[in-house]
Amino acid sequence: MTDHGTPSHRIVVCWKWVDLEGDARRAGVSAADEAALETALAMTASLDAPTAEVVVVTLGPPETDPVLRRALAAGAHRVVRIDASVDLPSDRVAAALAEAMNDELGGVDIVVCGDYSPDRGSGSVPAFLAAELGAAQALGLIQLTVDGRVDASGAPVVRALRRLDGGRREQLTVTTPAVLSVEGSVATLRRATLAAELAAKQATIDVVPGPRHAEQHADSIRPFRPRTRVVPAPEGQSALDRVRALTAAGATSAHGETVTLDPPDAAARIVSALHEWGYLES
Amino acid sequence: MTAEPVAVDVVVVGAGPAGSCAATALARRGHSVILLERGPFAGSKNMYGGVVYPRILDQLHPNWWEEVPIQRWITRRSTMVLTDSQAMTVDFRSQHWADPPYNGATAYRPDFDHWLAQKAEADGVQVVTSTTAVGLLRDEAGRIVGVRTDRPDGDLRASVVIACDGVNSFLAKEAGLFREHQTAADNYTVGVKETIALPRDVIEQRFGVRGREGVDIEILGGTGGVNGGGFVYTNLDTLGVGVVLKLPALAAQQQRPEEIIADLKAHPAIAPLVEGGEVVEYSAHLIPEAGRSMMPTLTTDGMLVAGDAASMCLAAGIWLEGVNFAMASGMYAGEATADALAAGDTSAPGLAGYERRLGDTFVLRDHDKLHRAPGLVLSDRVQHQYPQMIANVVERVFRVDNPQPKPGLRRIVREERKRAGIGIRDLARDAWTGLRSFG
Ligand SMILES: Cc1cc2nc3c(=O)[nH]c(=O)nc-3n(C[C@H](O)[C@H](O)[C@H](O)COP(=O)(O)OP(=O)(O)OC[C@H]3O[C@@H](n4cnc5c(N)ncnc54)[C@H](O)[C@@H]3O)c2cc1C
Repeated sequence: MTDHGTPSHRIVVCWKWVDLEGDARRAGVSAADEAALETALAMTASLDAPTAEVVVVTLGPPETDPVLRRALAAGAHRVVRIDASVDLPSDRVAAALAEAMNDELGGVDIVVCGDYSPDRGSGSVPAFLAAELGAAQALGLIQLTVDGRVDASGAPVVRALRRLDGGRREQLTVTTPAVLSVEGSVATLRRATLAAELAAKQATIDVVPGPRHAEQHADSIRPFRPRTRVVPAPEGQSALDRVRALTAAGATSAHGETVTLDPPDAAARIVSALHEWGYLES
Repeated sequence: MTAEPVAVDVVVVGAGPAGSCAATALARRGHSVILLERGPFAGSKNMYGGVVYPRILDQLHPNWWEEVPIQRWITRRSTMVLTDSQAMTVDFRSQHWADPPYNGATAYRPDFDHWLAQKAEADGVQVVTSTTAVGLLRDEAGRIVGVRTDRPDGDLRASVVIACDGVNSFLAKEAGLFREHQTAADNYTVGVKETIALPRDVIEQRFGVRGREGVDIEILGGTGGVNGGGFVYTNLDTLGVGVVLKLPALAAQQQRPEEIIADLKAHPAIAPLVEGGEVVEYSAHLIPEAGRSMMPTLTTDGMLVAGDAASMCLAAGIWLEGVNFAMASGMYAGEATADALAAGDTSAPGLAGYERRLGDTFVLRDHDKLHRAPGLVLSDRVQHQYPQMIANVVERVFRVDNPQPKPGLRRIVREERKRAGIGIRDLARDAWTGLRSFG
């Protein structure tokens, strides 16, 4: 492993490498994963800490290396590949990522992930990862900023914006350590300079051993498609009215409720609301 | 702040067959080489009909056949003449082509070009993908000193630029190497191809081959009213079916290429071959068809042009060979550049060894010999009148008209020539041109 010194802040970006076509040359990561790296790079720039570093961690076979070199070329300071098969379930992926972050990187401040991958796209790994790391989580974000301010422990203050139903937005201040996931539309990964592209070809990729096999084998890897369900034809004179009816855009949600509670009470309230609304069965 | 430009001995633009061979030849002589490719990997953007003749690789990669990613070794070559309702085929099969050192093979370009580029990389070439050369860099005196790429801080300085950027080369045009008439639309054909998936055993039954054996069918006629030709190639579990169409004729006929392929596939001689297949890819690309007469000046101070960028593709009716001409011209460009760098003279005279090598080998010799062939093959008579005449002659020779006696061949040919409206002088002139080209 290369000695990189101790950075003032470390932002870890998790990339999920997916080979949908059985041809590693066409495999890659989602736009959301790319946006995660771009967001992390932009965050380190605004941290005004010269030794802040961005580390990209992925899990996969050696065929994954070209995308990690892309990350290096774009500006990641270091990349780590957990040498493992890519067909592991989300919880085991998260456990492997957390282990690498703790053992290999000596802990993390901020983890940024994409909120979907090209295959399943459920975005569940960040949530599992937050649980593994005992970190706060804010998922499906559309904006993520640090403005150089730090909290009492010296950790950067992260501000995030999340999309809510009905076109509303939720502004969050996240304490670190935190796992954050961003939508693909948040940012476009910068294009590497020619010199960086060439340097990345020679760079070291740190490889750490990971879990070898999935307990259950996926029969095939394909993009995730939610199941179809029957939706009644929307009512409305114009197409716009019908789209509004379909998406419930602009309508006040029957379930809307704003409460201010401590996190444990808030969690309990959310669970009971989900029961009330029939999303959870007792 | 702008960083110092990256500098190497040579930048090769385009990781097609020409570029990879040029880069390999240079790296083997110890030079630092960057091979630029606009696609995400070498070959990812490239299409062609489907048959490579890699003999020239004996020089660069001996025993290439042990590792080259091919689909099928060509053991059957058929030349088919089609009219609307007739087909005549000359079919040749050789088992000599089923074993090393082989002759030709069908291969997918993303596999073949990628393999060649990997070989170049193994020899020390730095292959930089997803990067497009957008222009030439020149010094104060106007001499070419590198290329500008589309990356930030993307200037790339080099003692020599080798343009292998394919047909319609922007770099060769920017360097002023083409004269205006050489880039006229009349010099180009457009090749369009459908890749049609069929089970492997179905292909083998329909085409009469086994294992890794494959078939190459070249077609004269079958392109509607548009001058050109067609082809059917067998891959392991797909067929490449396509047409090559003269651009001005296509525009004049106002036909769409995919309609012409659809008609070809519906022809009674082709339909049983493609029946039940699923089109999995449709692609199109220009071909520099006119050969010698559209070749640009091949060298200028600090730059050479190779492959399709230099119109090296040989399109002469029964032969459509571009990949081997690209590989050879690329390799010779690389070797000549290495000589020029060693001699410390990369001006046009210093790079003249390139054209000398081309002139001493099949590259320009075949082009010189066959320089009339593209015009002959795409002429109206060869395209429309001869196929009809030949098919009618053969039909009458084999037609049994009892109780009439069999007519003599000479009489049939004379009558059918007249019926097809071919003058005896034109026939003689075309026969002479054909003899001089192909004889
Ligand atoms: C329909 C069709 C059928 C054909 N059939 C056959 C056949 O059966 N057999 C045969 O031998 N030949 C065939 N050919 C011809 C053959 O494809 C070409 O002659 C051959 O590919 C030329 O090789 P090249 O390396 O010169 O150019 P290309 O193969 O065109 O490679 C050029 C490379 O340069 C890259 N590039 C272009 N511009 C830039 C830039 N500005 N910056 C960076 N990279 C750039 C491209 O992405 C590409 O990878 C056919 C062609 C067509 C269109």
